[in-house]
Amino acid sequence: MADGREQFLRTVRQALGRDQAATPPPKSGEADGESSIRDRASEIQREAEDNADALMSRLHEAATEAGWNVTRVASPAEAADHILRVVQDLEARSIVRSAHDVLDALALDEGMARAGVSMTLAAIGDMATEGQRQEQRASIRESCISADVGLTGVDHAIAETGSVVLLPRRGVSRLVSLLPPVHVAVVRRGQVLPGLDELFALQRLDHIEGDLGSYLNIITGPSRSADIEHTLVTGVHGPGEVHMVLLG
Amino acid sequence: MSQPPESPKVSLFVTCVVDQFYPEIGESTVRVLRRLGVDVDFPSAQTCCGQPAFNSGFWSEAIPLARGFLKTFAGDRYIVAPSGSCASMVRVFYEELLHDEPDLLEKARAVAPRVFEFSEFVVDVLGVTDLSSFVGQTGDTSDRNVTYHEGCHLRRELGVTTQPTALIEGLPGVQLTEMEQVDVCCGFGGTFAVKFSDISTAMLQDKIEYVQATGADTVVSCDATCLMQIGGGLELNGVDVRPVHLAQLIDERIGIESGISRAQPR
Amino acid sequence: MRPDTKNFKRGAAKALGNERIQANLLGLYNGFDRARLAAADGTPDWELMREQARAIKAHTIDNLDYYLELAASNVEKAGGTVFFAKDADAAAGYVTDLALARGVKLVIKGKSMVSEEMSLNERLTDAGIEPVETDLGEYIIQLAGETPYHIIAPAIHKSREEVTDLFEAKLNSPRYEEITELAAEARRQLRDKFIRADMGITGANFIVAETGTVALVTNEGNGRMCTSMPRIHVAITGMEKIIPSMDDLGIFLRLLIRSATGQRISSYVTTVTGPRHADDEDGPDEFHLVIVDNGRSRLLADPELRESLYCIRCGACLNACPVYRKVGGHAYGWVYPGPIGAIVTPVMTNLADAKDLPFASSLCGACREACPVKINIPRMLLHLRKEVTEGRKYPTERNRSVLEALAMRLWRLSLSSPAALSIANSVARVLQKPLLRKGRIRWLPPPLSGWTPSRTFPAFVRPFRQRWRG
Repeated sequence: MADGREQFLRTVRQALGRDQAATPPPKSGEADGESSIRDRASEIQREAEDNADALMSRLHEAATEAGWNVTRVASPAEAADHILRVVQDLEARSIVRSAHDVLDALALDEGMARAGVSMTLAAIGDMATEGQRQEQRASIRESCISADVGLTGVDHAIAETGSVVLLPRRGVSRLVSLLPPVHVAVVRRGQVLPGLDELFALQRLDHIEGDLGSYLNIITGPSRSADIEHTLVTGVHGPGEVHMVLLG
Repeated sequence: MSQPPESPKVSLFVTCVVDQFYPEIGESTVRVLRRLGVDVDFPSAQTCCGQPAFNSGFWSEAIPLARGFLKTFAGDRYIVAPSGSCASMVRVFYEELLHDEPDLLEKARAVAPRVFEFSEFVVDVLGVTDLSSFVGQTGDTSDRNVTYHEGCHLRRELGVTTQPTALIEGLPGVQLTEMEQVDVCCGFGGTFAVKFSDISTAMLQDKIEYVQATGADTVVSCDATCLMQIGGGLELNGVDVRPVHLAQLIDERIGIESGISRAQPR
Repeated sequence: MRPDTKNFKRGAAKALGNERIQANLLGLYNGFDRARLAAADGTPDWELMREQARAIKAHTIDNLDYYLELAASNVEKAGGTVFFAKDADAAAGYVTDLALARGVKLVIKGKSMVSEEMSLNERLTDAGIEPVETDLGEYIIQLAGETPYHIIAPAIHKSREEVTDLFEAKLNSPRYEEITELAAEARRQLRDKFIRADMGITGANFIVAETGTVALVTNEGNGRMCTSMPRIHVAITGMEKIIPSMDDLGIFLRLLIRSATGQRISSYVTTVTGPRHADDEDGPDEFHLVIVDNGRSRLLADPELRESLYCIRCGACLNACPVYRKVGGHAYGWVYPGPIGAIVTPVMTNLADAKDLPFASSLCGACREACPVKINIPRMLLHLRKEVTEGRKYPTERNRSVLEALAMRLWRLSLSSPAALSIANSVARVLQKPLLRKGRIRWLPPPLSGWTPSRTFPAFVRPFRQRWRG
């Protein structure tokens, strides 16, 4: 498979009317030094804390518009009750969940067991060997394929668009929010960013720190399509029903 | 009667379509402008701005016509056309056509700021929107239900969107009803109308349907070419809606004792 | 996809004669186009964003060589592989060879117009690999053996009854009456493919040069499936899709999504930077980015047409175009229909064959008004028309009609002076006499014969210039 890279770039340069690679004057934020990227990121994080209440309310509104079933609760116990109720209303038998801290704090295990719902943690063990990791990956997949509900925390939420954001991290499989027909996402106070620009500014920080993940998912409402006769249907490949629990 | 303090000087760019097919639109334009206190002349060397050739890809045929236009309309008078499309040819598209003709391009750039479409000139330059104070004794005051067709070049090349309807709404006895898809092309498009007549016709049929749906007795436009398309379709389909140019509508409504000498309206 | 651009008029007539297609196309105006306007209204600084996006695109395209290298090196730093394909054939060859080398049997695909350029499904099938389209619209199109009708809504010309027939014939499914049932059937059918597939192929809406990140916009979730389920992910993209920085992504996502469907954001926006990291819970082992030229460098080299590469493929110009809304997508004969297609198709394929495309427009400018990056499509159509008739830049692709050239010359001579015009007017008034009925013309000879079947034509009269007496 010969890579025609040099020839390709030569053609592009010729089309641009030059024969040498040029370094253009930077545009937009490209030229930002690392310190300005860091400063901006800390400012964003600070504002997310300072304006947490207002951002939570804006998120509530935008997420509702985007098709989430949104509930705001004051305490982890209330969140747990609500999630249990959702699961029971759905008559779900199995839940798969990610290892987000916020979910640990909800202490759902007992309630779910009492309700006869099996809950699986879709996570690879910390001490797993490579061979075990392979195996565990396969089993995460299986759990996500068969589960009735996927339960996750989030890394961020976005007030502008009514979205939640999931990043790769230990104990978080992206399949939990994708494969089951229902997704429940728990958003903590302080996690809400005003808009997309703030999210990508934080991604830039990850990038300069060498922490940029292999993916980022912005999820907004249910899976949908209007490919037939402009008619909206939900739950095409991803979850058709989505719940957002705002905690705090 | 409000009148601008000085009498603005205008050269009428009548356009070849109005000259050859719709001279009454040119006459109405002159009468209305004069009624509004404008000094109008008609540079008789004018023929055509070259748009049909330019739009058809025959730029080498269009350039001599552009040269003629720029020579004819040199000077410092306003240039007013009863056509959004022809005005945009000179004001916008000469920039493309004359890209490789530096001398002409320079002239075109000098001319461009003086070029106005009729309604744009009346509202933006003369500052007139309420025409009721100009209504004379011979003005037609009967009730009329009109709908307005927005010319594409007028809207999108010249950015003239509110002026025509503002003028219409200022006419006593005239009720304006907006049609559905008012900003959608009627399907004229110059040679497009004959080269792709099926498509042009399908677009026209929609337009006729939307015109009819308003219940209007009159369809008004600022372009004779749109009226040629819409009016031709209305007539063949036996639809009893009268196509008129905005200048004609204004002319009829405000009524005028003395227009161009010896010229007979219709 | 093999271009079939010579038959625009035939394709147009076919769509015009089909009432159902006409009704579906009308839906583009009331659906997408009005939704776009509402979304733009609801976005603060929309006009400013359009200006900014245009400036960013202009800068990136003017320095494309630099940004391509930057993007490629960052994809590689993230552990991905980059292949530069000079044409569709090279791109299809790379993907097919990769699939064969990795023992791939089943490929799941997200919507990718570039893969249509490559006829990738055909190439994979020929190599014994099963490609499955997973976007609902694309899935329908693939079952029907057709090509996309619209870059955002590929099956928009099909009614639910047709989809029901298709599913019954190809999938043996019951005769569903509801669209929700049809979508559920597709979900069931494709779920199994997602689970079994070895390779996922997607397009890329944007490539962020600074980080080597690919951004994907989807609503159904199939894009997420393709990027996270199979062991290999291949993203295929045209070379113009690059933006410099993560900082630019917010603007472009807003413009793209709000212009495409009127949503504030799509259900899913996924970014991918390289393959799965060692400690990720899931994701592909391999990530490949295929960057395709395939004639784009010709657009780049033409200063008048270069801005066509600013296109972010939102489809807004299609929805806004009164011609597209009459003739539909297939008439244009290649991957990209509508106003932007009328620019890029002739240059990326062959201008002489596709000569009708730049002329099939009333130059109404609705496309430019709708375009989120303010591409001046009418201006480029005019330049391409000149190339067809005068062939200055593409001399071998000149394709003008001798008769039309003659008519144009005569027309121009008749306007060369007021005296000539007066003569022409007198001659015309004599010649038109037999054609006049109640002062109107009801029949015209070629080349104007297209006018009169649906419209009467006004008569030449004593011209304004003769009535004028100062």
